[in-house]
Amino acid sequence: MERDDAWRQTDRLQAETGKGDPFAAAVRGTRMPMIITDPRQADNPIVYVNDAFLSLTGYDRDEIMGQNCRFLQGPETDKGAVRQIREATEAKRDIAIDVLNYRKDGTPFWNALYISPVSNEAGEVLYYFASQVDVTDRIDAHLKTWSEKEHFEREVAKRTRELSEALAAKTMLLHEVDHRVKNNLQMVASLLALQTRTITDPTARATMEDMLKRVEALGTVHRRLYQSNDVERFDVTEFVRDLTSDLVRGLGRNDIRLHFDVEAVEVPVAKAPPIALVLNEIVTNVLRHAFPDGRPGRLSIAVIPGETSIVIEVKDDGVGMPDLDQRSGQRSFGKRLIETLARQLNASITWRAADPGTAVHVRLPRESAVRSETR
Amino acid sequence: MSEPLRVLLVEDEALILMQLEMLLEDAGHLIVGTAVRAEEGVALLRETRPDLVFVDLRLADGSSGVAVAQAALGIGGITCVFITANSRQLTGDLEGAAAVIAKPFSGSALEDTLAFLEQALRRPPPDMAVPHGMRIAPIARANWALIEG
Repeated sequence: MERDDAWRQTDRLQAETGKGDPFAAAVRGTRMPMIITDPRQADNPIVYVNDAFLSLTGYDRDEIMGQNCRFLQGPETDKGAVRQIREATEAKRDIAIDVLNYRKDGTPFWNALYISPVSNEAGEVLYYFASQVDVTDRIDAHLKTWSEKEHFEREVAKRTRELSEALAAKTMLLHEVDHRVKNNLQMVASLLALQTRTITDPTARATMEDMLKRVEALGTVHRRLYQSNDVERFDVTEFVRDLTSDLVRGLGRNDIRLHFDVEAVEVPVAKAPPIALVLNEIVTNVLRHAFPDGRPGRLSIAVIPGETSIVIEVKDDGVGMPDLDQRSGQRSFGKRLIETLARQLNASITWRAADPGTAVHVRLPRESAVRSETR
Repeated sequence: MSEPLRVLLVEDEALILMQLEMLLEDAGHLIVGTAVRAEEGVALLRETRPDLVFVDLRLADGSSGVAVAQAALGIGGITCVFITANSRQLTGDLEGAAAVIAKPFSGSALEDTLAFLEQALRRPPPDMAVPHGMRIAPIARANWALIEG
């Protein structure tokens, strides 16, 4: 006869609430667990407990009447929360807090606890009124979300770390391969240079020297590669400078002045070696024919970016090429090299008399040439 | 040409070493020794006291050319120049070296470099432009009275 029992408990309360009080009836009948404690008695015991509280906690009324509420605490109850509750009651203020409590059978539940002091007109606390709500579902959902978020953040951090490491490894690998390519090109050049020295036949020697220049031109490309941290684009203009001054210096001629009129143009990296070889052949050819017998002169190189193409112009003020018209009949290795590479590059190459000298135009289509500003 | 430079070469690729010897001798300089390992190079530095030492950054048995550069700096009076295919690894002060030459170098670029270094060491400031592929440490720029830029 729990219900009758509760009724009698209300009768025993010393407060001004009575048997016929509709508010007391509401407290008895509500689904919300509620208790009242008496701070004026030793250890602030429970003096009233409603049925909802008993069904929440699993205790019988006899077991908890006259007890302090601490029996609700258990091993996982947050000590900090307990301290906050104690401090609030000692300070005679109300408190709302989520705390882990335990039922009689030992199962835990999250208790949304609200405690409020009930004072008389003199300000003396007569009772503490406490209500409890089982919010285990809400807290569990919250904890689950929180731990999922934690887990997700950990996963993202882990993945980011892995990606950074993979990128660093790839960058290192790229540098390693780059290093080896450059070293090997140097070794090829060394081999050619060393052998060339032993050759006495002037024609054979000249052929070897030409070959060394081609390898060195490729070497210049690779030296210029990856200098800008860009593995996809290659700056033609700096390369043109390096290559041409190299070739003029190689002739041992300081009576040939170099003039550059270049605008920064970048090409896809894959196009760089054929462009280098074409330019090497053209400049070598021009230098060989334009300034015979110590004739001084000027070699100008222009890089002109256009809408649909870029033009590289190699122009000299030398003697010109008397055999320009016949050149098509020649099938020298150098000429074949230029034609083959021009085909690969989709480039058109024109040689014409410039009076004085010769002007050579290499026109590269737009798709193989990208202006640096458009990047 | 003024008095030839006394040069030590530290390079672990035999072929490149041979080409360097050839180019240096052609330019009229005197090779006082060659080494393929850092400690060998350091020992030869002390023994031969060259004017100039060319050092590859990566040397045989995983040793580093930086050790040679540091030793040259410690001994004093020796100009150290790195020749390397990974010059990007080097810090701004070039680890105590005066300059770095990028690999692959062409024969004529190296001839230019030798002419430049000879002027820089014998009668600074050099009257020629810094050869392409060559990077000079700030301290060497000051020592050789190079005009900035």
